[in-house]
Amino acid sequence: MSLTIALAGNPNCGKTTLFNALTGARHHVGNWPGVTVERRSGAFEQDGLSLEVVDLPGTYSLAARSEDERVAAQFLASPEVDLVLNVLDASNLERNLYLSTQLLELGKPVAFVLNMVDDAENRGVHIDVAALETLLGGPVIPTVGNRAQGIPELKALLAVLARGESTRCRRITVDYGHDIEGELAKLETEICRDEKLEATMPPRWLALQLLENNAEAKRRVAESHASEAISQQLTKSFAFLEPHLGADGATLIAERRYGFAHGLVKEVATAPDEGRTPTARLDAVLTHRWLGIPIFVGILALVYSVSFILGKIPQDWIAEGFKALSDFAGAHLPAGELTSLLVDGVIPGVSAVIVFVPVIMILMGCIAFLEDTGYMARAAFIMDRLMHVMGLHGKSFIPLIMGSGCNVPAIQAARTIESRQDRLITILVTPLVSCSARLQVYIVIAGTFFTPFKAALAIIAMHFLGLGLAVLMGRVLRSALFAGPSSPFVMELPPYRLPVLKATLIHMWEKGSVFLTRAGTTIFAGATLIWFLSRYPGIANQEWTAQYQEQRQAVAALKLPGAEEEDRLRALQLAHESRIVNTSLAARLGQKASPLLRPILDPDHKRAEAWKDVIALTAGFVAKEIVVSTMAVIHQASDEPKPGERLSPLQVSLRDNSGLSPLTALAFMVFTLIYTPCLGTVAMIRREAGSWGWAGFTIAYGLVLGWGLAWVTVAAGRALGFA
Amino acid sequence: MTQNPSIPLSDLQPGDQGEVIQVQAQGQIRQRLLEMGFIRGARLRVEKLAPLGDPMELVIKGYHLSLRRDESACILVHRVA
Repeated sequence: MSLTIALAGNPNCGKTTLFNALTGARHHVGNWPGVTVERRSGAFEQDGLSLEVVDLPGTYSLAARSEDERVAAQFLASPEVDLVLNVLDASNLERNLYLSTQLLELGKPVAFVLNMVDDAENRGVHIDVAALETLLGGPVIPTVGNRAQGIPELKALLAVLARGESTRCRRITVDYGHDIEGELAKLETEICRDEKLEATMPPRWLALQLLENNAEAKRRVAESHASEAISQQLTKSFAFLEPHLGADGATLIAERRYGFAHGLVKEVATAPDEGRTPTARLDAVLTHRWLGIPIFVGILALVYSVSFILGKIPQDWIAEGFKALSDFAGAHLPAGELTSLLVDGVIPGVSAVIVFVPVIMILMGCIAFLEDTGYMARAAFIMDRLMHVMGLHGKSFIPLIMGSGCNVPAIQAARTIESRQDRLITILVTPLVSCSARLQVYIVIAGTFFTPFKAALAIIAMHFLGLGLAVLMGRVLRSALFAGPSSPFVMELPPYRLPVLKATLIHMWEKGSVFLTRAGTTIFAGATLIWFLSRYPGIANQEWTAQYQEQRQAVAALKLPGAEEEDRLRALQLAHESRIVNTSLAARLGQKASPLLRPILDPDHKRAEAWKDVIALTAGFVAKEIVVSTMAVIHQASDEPKPGERLSPLQVSLRDNSGLSPLTALAFMVFTLIYTPCLGTVAMIRREAGSWGWAGFTIAYGLVLGWGLAWVTVAAGRALGFA
Repeated sequence: MTQNPSIPLSDLQPGDQGEVIQVQAQGQIRQRLLEMGFIRGARLRVEKLAPLGDPMELVIKGYHLSLRRDESACILVHRVA
């Protein structure tokens, strides 16, 4: 026998910690159907029963306006749920009970967890659990989720309730007073005319939502054959209630619910001590008028360094490990298609996926830590004014800044933004923030065409351009896609709490593994496709392979000293690869497509090698740093400088042969900044925005915007007299 | 009893206390504010403004909440001593 328990509660009530404590590490993380709200479920065994627990998104209400609330409301109403477990924050009981008044209307058995009783006790709030049980009509178990106190009792209770052996769940509902109850009864009668409507949710619950003027409830009614009768009754009810009670339905119902909660709290809990709480003392510093921003910047700098500087160490190991593997395979396997697939396709593809994992895990761990301590809400509080001007939310700030390390985890970090609109806009503009992979391209290009000082200036300018564009696009997208009022900024500043290390570790693991399984496949497939385009048909040319082998043997026969032989062999390899790539499908595509880029990269139509840019940029779709290594192959010049020289052979070749001028080089940098997010970012956008459409949109607007700005760069530069 | 005049919540200064008269916003914002406890007669205290002057932090129903000026301007309150 298996039963399903829905875990419901406000944000910050310790629900997820409790969920971890109940189910251990056996979780399944996915998305709710059709939306990008995370669905976490797990199971535990108790007294021979298997109990499935589903962690609902934390909500203040079930009014089904936000994605989170809709998911929670729909799941709670579904027949799948056998028992509702409502987690209450003991130190913030009144507001937490508002949701309970709605849960009690759903007609399912409800049990309660009074969580964080230690916090409440510290604030001088003592709660009479027995009295609370009586007034709520359901069993109440006090717990301290982060110390697993009360968990065995809770498990035992859930097993008893699941077997249906307890009579402790009585149905208690809020009494809305004579007038409202009268109208509710009339509405219920009309609703019950449609049996199908009646079966989907308790009529009283639907009637309440109608009186609250809930759009989702009205939509449901509109689909019913009884919709006319129900609407007529609703109009009559409004006409009666508003003048009679001096407020609209939504206000009246909220007042009665809070009335119930307030009365209950007065009955069962003592008032908190006067005086400043530890949270207030911390906030006196952390959100201080002058200190708040410097402290925030300091914390941000710390998170950034830990993620991208510390995270770079394992990242380098992984990259070097795969490089060594690929070199080893290349040296020991016969040259040919399969070897190339392995050495140039599969191994770099897998590497391109795994290389992200350490940074994702570290950054997500930091963000979970900030979120769980309660600081994330303060960060949003501090930065909201600035971000609001940009058409974004205070919580968008951290993803945007982290984007300058790597866009992939930055987009994942946007999960902390509750409103779907704000989150989507943040996700869509983050790719404009210049990441560290693009920096490698700038360094090569700027180092070739500018003096060191001007090169540094150009590189800094790229970063500012990226941020500026993100801000601008944020505003444009806000007004183009989401006309109408922006979502309200009504954000709780929860008490500071010490996070549970285990929860943070579980969170890091989940983010890392979700990335590997979901985004990994996309990146891998894309990398293989790009390999195919840039190697065929040359790689299958037996003659070329034979020639290459002969040349190698000829060099080997010379019996040169070790280092010189190696150099010669490397030059041969580069020449062979160059021959393949420069005749590949990608090269043909490049020749066909180069007129498109002519206005920005070849305005005088004098560059014979302009098509090579297209190959490099196409390869850069896999990961931006690949632009450099691809250039090395197509220009047949190594990207590593010889000892004692400032420019690498690739840079010399670019300077002397590519035909790029400082101005078109700058345009190339601008285009590289914007033209498309890398595959990892695209895969992450697809996952976090919930559709390929948004991922495609990001690529498309990037290409258009990148082209446009590169063109402006060239046009403005020429107007100012630069070549 | 003399009633103080009704003013928008955004006019209260840090340290001021108030009592909610009415939420004037419409639609989604209205419902959200009601759910968060801005019902008639609810007591609140303005804690502080964010370093850049907006949003504001206030205490209502025993918990801390932040609101932008856009939202706090459409909540009518009495100032309470």
